[in-house]
Amino acid sequence: MNDLVWKSMVELARLIRAREVSPVEVVQAHLDRIASLDGRLRSYITVLSDSALAAAKAAEAAATSGETPGPLHGVPVGLKDLYCTKGVKTTGGSRILSDWAPPEDATVVSRLAGAGAIVLGKLNMHEFAYGPEGLNPHYGSPWNPWDAVTHRICGGSSSGSGAAVAAGLCPGALGSDTGGSIRIPASLCGISGLKPTYGRVSRAGVLPLAWSLDHVGPMCRTAADCALMLGSMAGYDPRDPTTSVLPVPDYMAALTGTVKGLRIGVLRPFFMESAAAAERRAVEQAVKTLEGLGASVHEVKLDTVKLAAGASSAVIAAEAYAYHEAWIKKRPQEYGADVRERLRVGAFVSGADYVNGQRARVLMRNEVDATLARLDVLVAPTTPISATPVGVGQVEIGGEEQPVRPTLIRFTRPFNATGHPAASVPCGFTAEGLPIGLQIVGRPFDEATVLRVADAYQRATDWHARRPSLAG
Amino acid sequence: MSAHGLVNEAASRYPAPMEPPLTIDTLRTLATLQGLELTDEELAGLLPLVQAGRSMAESLRGALPGDVEPASQYRIM
Repeated sequence: MNDLVWKSMVELARLIRAREVSPVEVVQAHLDRIASLDGRLRSYITVLSDSALAAAKAAEAAATSGETPGPLHGVPVGLKDLYCTKGVKTTGGSRILSDWAPPEDATVVSRLAGAGAIVLGKLNMHEFAYGPEGLNPHYGSPWNPWDAVTHRICGGSSSGSGAAVAAGLCPGALGSDTGGSIRIPASLCGISGLKPTYGRVSRAGVLPLAWSLDHVGPMCRTAADCALMLGSMAGYDPRDPTTSVLPVPDYMAALTGTVKGLRIGVLRPFFMESAAAAERRAVEQAVKTLEGLGASVHEVKLDTVKLAAGASSAVIAAEAYAYHEAWIKKRPQEYGADVRERLRVGAFVSGADYVNGQRARVLMRNEVDATLARLDVLVAPTTPISATPVGVGQVEIGGEEQPVRPTLIRFTRPFNATGHPAASVPCGFTAEGLPIGLQIVGRPFDEATVLRVADAYQRATDWHARRPSLAG
Repeated sequence: MSAHGLVNEAASRYPAPMEPPLTIDTLRTLATLQGLELTDEELAGLLPLVQAGRSMAESLRGALPGDVEPASQYRIM
């Protein structure tokens, strides 16, 4: 097996800069692995072998000519297939856009290319990002690499990104997150993912699900790699008026390796208390690890979190319907059944209900802000459950049957509603060998502290370094 | 208390009208008004989802103080 596919982005960038490895070798190793495994994993919709190799050759020539390389020079990435990529089919995981090639790149795609990253391909996803399971009836549902026998969900909607990074088919990927779509697949696929603060990263050129809840972010195998990617992506963009003019800090420099003196709030009511036993145990142990590293631990309750379901549902349903209205009326049969139904629900959300959803978000945001005024980060399980088999609609938690879909998003969507940065990193495994995620939530625009905590945790543990069974 | 809250407090002296239960026929009418052509089977599938949405919206209405403004352009900074 080629070890290059298991190197971190930070390490690959260093090796390429030092000319110890060629970008062509790195890209070829990943393309070979995609050819070998992706027939089963289905993490990619489009593989860009020719252009990736051409870019790798150009990167190799630039490296030897003495040009100053960007921070991601020669490092491969995958793009969730809702990032507009100039001249490249960008499907949104749909049949409706199956032949659409945008005339220009999304801002973040341009920025990653400007930093030297090489795009390996476009990654599979839940159709139009409207599902936390990560299923896809048009391109096949990605296979969770942690179970070689049973087809389990990867989590969504960035399911292909989760599977590809976990299985070594790309070292880093772009995902997007409206109710948990970076963090859920990060948790279920055993990788690290970051939903930055709303407004930290441009959404220009990203197919929307719900404009006021969509977030753009990295999915990698380490928090340090998320920091590396974020540094190249973040910042004001005149094409996206919701982006902030706040300066972008040096996220890599923030990874000091220590959490001594940091104050960590454990979200117990609603979060820990409603998670499955394995998730609770793993997160409790993660908290003990952080405490052992010098952080102080405090118990926290968020009273307004009970508003998250109603607020998010109304806002997503109405905004998604507004975007899809023309298609859903004229071409309904081209949607998968689940997304078609979910979109149609949006037609029945009243204007007042939508506005009340936006009002509830303000209450929630104010409470999280007040809580983080006296703490540095909040932690909780990322999801109440681990990856379920495809087709299973109910799951048992503590003796009670619950529907899978709303259960998956329960702990993540509050922080889409509030806009706070939130990461998921692996913190253990179930008895079946399925990954468990730790969610770390920070103050607005304080991704540096979120990543610092995640990175310090990863220096003290090795959950993130384990490799899935299907990955060989 | 803001004027907003005072107005809402005054209004709350009167009991809110009961929302009529949603039926397939009502849903069909609403869908038609929205320009959606749905079969009976599709309406039957949608009914519990729309009902659930209405219940959540009603809970939200009850939980919001009168003087909270919506995030009309949602940005943090």
